[in-house]
Amino acid sequence: MTGLLTRMVARLLLPASLVTALAILVKGYGDTGDGFAAGAVAAAGIVVQYVAFGGATVERLLPVRAAHVGVVTGLLVALAVGFGPVAAGLPLLAHRPPPEAHVVRLGTLELHTATLFDLGVFLLVIGFTVGAVRALAHAGERS
Amino acid sequence: LAVPALLPVALALAAAPLTAAVGAVRPRAAAPVAVGAASVAFVACLATWWAGSAPVDLPWAPSWGLRLRFHFDGLATLYAVLTTAVAVAVTVYATAYVPRHLHHQERPREEAVRFHALILLFMGAMLGLVTAGDGLLLFLFWDLTAVTSYFLIAFDRERAEARSAALMALLVTGVTSILFLAGVVLLDLGTGSFAIDTWLGAGTTPAAAALIAVAAVAKSAQVPLHFWLPRAMAAPTPVSAYLHSAAMVAAGVFVLTRLHPLIAAAPALSTALAVIGAVSMTVGGLLAFVADGLKAVLAYSTIAHYGYVTLLLALGGEHAIVAASFYVLAHGVAKSALFLAAGAVTEATGASTLARVGGLGARMPVLAAATGVAAAALAGLPLTIGYFKDELLFRVALQHGNLATAVAVAGAALTLAYTTRFWTSIFLGPAVGSARPVERRLTGPVVALAAVALAGGLYPDPLARLAAAAAARAPESVELEYHLLRTETALAVVVWIVGAAMVIVPSPLRAVAGAFRQAGARAGPERLYRMALHALNRFSRRLRRIEQRDLRSRVTPVLAPLAVLVGLALVATGGWRRIDAGRIATTDIPLAIAVSIAAAAAIATARRRRHLGIAVTLSTVGFSLAAAYAFSGAPDVALVAVLIETLLTLLFVGMLALFPLSVLRRQVRREPPRGRFWRDVAMSLLAGALALAVALRTLSGPTPRDPIAAAYLRLAPEAHGRDTVTVILADFRGLDTLGEITVLAIAFAGVLTLLRRQAP
Repeated sequence: MTGLLTRMVARLLLPASLVTALAILVKGYGDTGDGFAAGAVAAAGIVVQYVAFGGATVERLLPVRAAHVGVVTGLLVALAVGFGPVAAGLPLLAHRPPPEAHVVRLGTLELHTATLFDLGVFLLVIGFTVGAVRALAHAGERS
Repeated sequence: LAVPALLPVALALAAAPLTAAVGAVRPRAAAPVAVGAASVAFVACLATWWAGSAPVDLPWAPSWGLRLRFHFDGLATLYAVLTTAVAVAVTVYATAYVPRHLHHQERPREEAVRFHALILLFMGAMLGLVTAGDGLLLFLFWDLTAVTSYFLIAFDRERAEARSAALMALLVTGVTSILFLAGVVLLDLGTGSFAIDTWLGAGTTPAAAALIAVAAVAKSAQVPLHFWLPRAMAAPTPVSAYLHSAAMVAAGVFVLTRLHPLIAAAPALSTALAVIGAVSMTVGGLLAFVADGLKAVLAYSTIAHYGYVTLLLALGGEHAIVAASFYVLAHGVAKSALFLAAGAVTEATGASTLARVGGLGARMPVLAAATGVAAAALAGLPLTIGYFKDELLFRVALQHGNLATAVAVAGAALTLAYTTRFWTSIFLGPAVGSARPVERRLTGPVVALAAVALAGGLYPDPLARLAAAAAARAPESVELEYHLLRTETALAVVVWIVGAAMVIVPSPLRAVAGAFRQAGARAGPERLYRMALHALNRFSRRLRRIEQRDLRSRVTPVLAPLAVLVGLALVATGGWRRIDAGRIATTDIPLAIAVSIAAAAAIATARRRRHLGIAVTLSTVGFSLAAAYAFSGAPDVALVAVLIETLLTLLFVGMLALFPLSVLRRQVRREPPRGRFWRDVAMSLLAGALALAVALRTLSGPTPRDPIAAAYLRLAPEAHGRDTVTVILADFRGLDTLGEITVLAIAFAGVLTLLRRQAP
């Protein structure tokens, strides 16, 4: 069991990391950071919980069981963005709207297929990290 | 009224998912749905044959020149009708056979769903293959048949024999399918198109034709790549029946027929194929004559019969395509009936070898009669469809001189001999063992197929038209009638006399075939295959042992040769002379400090002994490097570096928590071997020197006038982005990202598989 301070800090870090990840994700295609970074921030927040509270507690409180869904969905989204244009006769990864066309913005979020691609990467990275840590924790409990 | 060629293919390909979906909800309904789906596909093929069809050419990925081309021409019609007709018989048979099979092995009934879905997938793949008008599509379905056959042969996955047979089939047909793909790509390079029609009109590329022919020889189980087929009878009987008659093995000769002009234009290749066909006829026939297993006799006979077809196609000439196509048709009907009959006999008696059955004729008269008709058809006796397949064979052989004729007659006589032996051993003689009655659904399909064989012998016209249409390049009519005064008839009589002699006095032939079988077991291609597989396994195990010893042994074989090679390259090209270390400006001081801290932390890491200390010091290296990136104006890289370092440190700490404390303490106390220390120092110095040399050499090269970085900076705003790194990752080099995340997803599956496996 970890110390009280560790657990308190870990608890504080979870919402902070998730909000930061969300911010990186919607901050717009134009700023530093991408889906990978967002996924890593969110995953780090969850991994801290594993270290501080142990696998059983995290399993109970967070939807980590859906990690593999994140991996598969993320990969499918990214592949769809990548290969979708091929089916329409365009080159691979031809993003929409095309260059010089108008991009609709919701605040800082741009409605652009590159953002969707980033979302796929985000889902995959968070799913991968959380899923792998979860599997390790299970393996540890068994041995 | 023309049916689009896509309709039967789409129906056939939809059959497997439909059956799997229904089976997932209601397992018992899978079997009737499978029969229905196969029947619908069969009717669709008949309707397309009757109404004629329009070729389909749809864009698939047009920017890569990929198109979905399907055409339902004469050749496709013949194979499609055969494939779906046998599929109907096999699925009906399977409704009774599979529950029995699962019951014998004490497996849950639900596994039948997988069986039915896979059989239909097999049918869909075969139908796609025969109607494909595009080389890449052809390859796609070619591989799909191989993959499906793997799962079907290994259906009894608890049995090691079935698993190794499936692996063998997949390796032999899968490795050669790479050659097939190479041939397809060569033809595309030569003609600028994947369309098969373009290839046939453009003359030949002997290399491409040879590559495809090798794959076809493996698929059709021709010597020397035949050995997987007899093993594949480890599959449940309906699978064997289908695989031997209309799917998988037929695919090889189908492709040879489809691309026949390419092969006929390469004389050396034709000669080689003729030899392979003739040898396969002899080898298959001899081994069938001495085989003891019910299914083994039939399996060796398949090798021999596709040998006939290969020989026919290799000889070429006026009637070759028609004769080969008709042969496949007749053989498919007869062989599937015989396999299904063998399965019914085994189910009734529990015996699976010729020695342990006998005298069943009185107890199972209907099955005996139907099997007799099918055996007669295989042996080419009159009043069955088989007579005409042999007549056409002799007609083609006669055009090519005495040697071809002699081979054909010898092969046909052998066939007559072993089919007679097969039928008489089962149904005549004294009764052996007991026989329980079996369901009508096990005998019905045999009777139906035998009826087709008989009808084809009495009224061959429709099937003859089907075969004549298969030679689409030169449409010809072929008349099949019984004549008394013809050379072919005389040859048939010779075959009967020789075959009867072999049956009456079997010992000389038995001795020859037995010796041959011995020699094959000692030095045959199957032995070679096993030796190669064994050697590969041993090599991989040895490599793994070296590699697994510890992390250092894993890194050393990579770094040491790399350092030596790069060093040699730098010396040989004189590159080391152009290395320019440059100067350190005052603005670089923060960067220098960050890098120095990283170096110091790296040395400190190597000196630590306690695990937690190592993890924390190691993270100092990473964080200092992240600071260095930040000072160099690369915030993106710095951000990712910080994140990765955080995660890795957390993971390290978490992993340490999983170990028992005593194990960690023992590790800390243990002294490393003396010699290893200096080896490690030498390795790290070597690796460091390598990295330094490469970095310095790269950075001191002349700056290109228009670096790609400038282009990225210029284009990023156009791609709606202001952060160039983000745009590179998601757009400019998005394909790299796509590849990397795919690897990540595969690695995830690997992690889960490894960790979920229970430690013994």
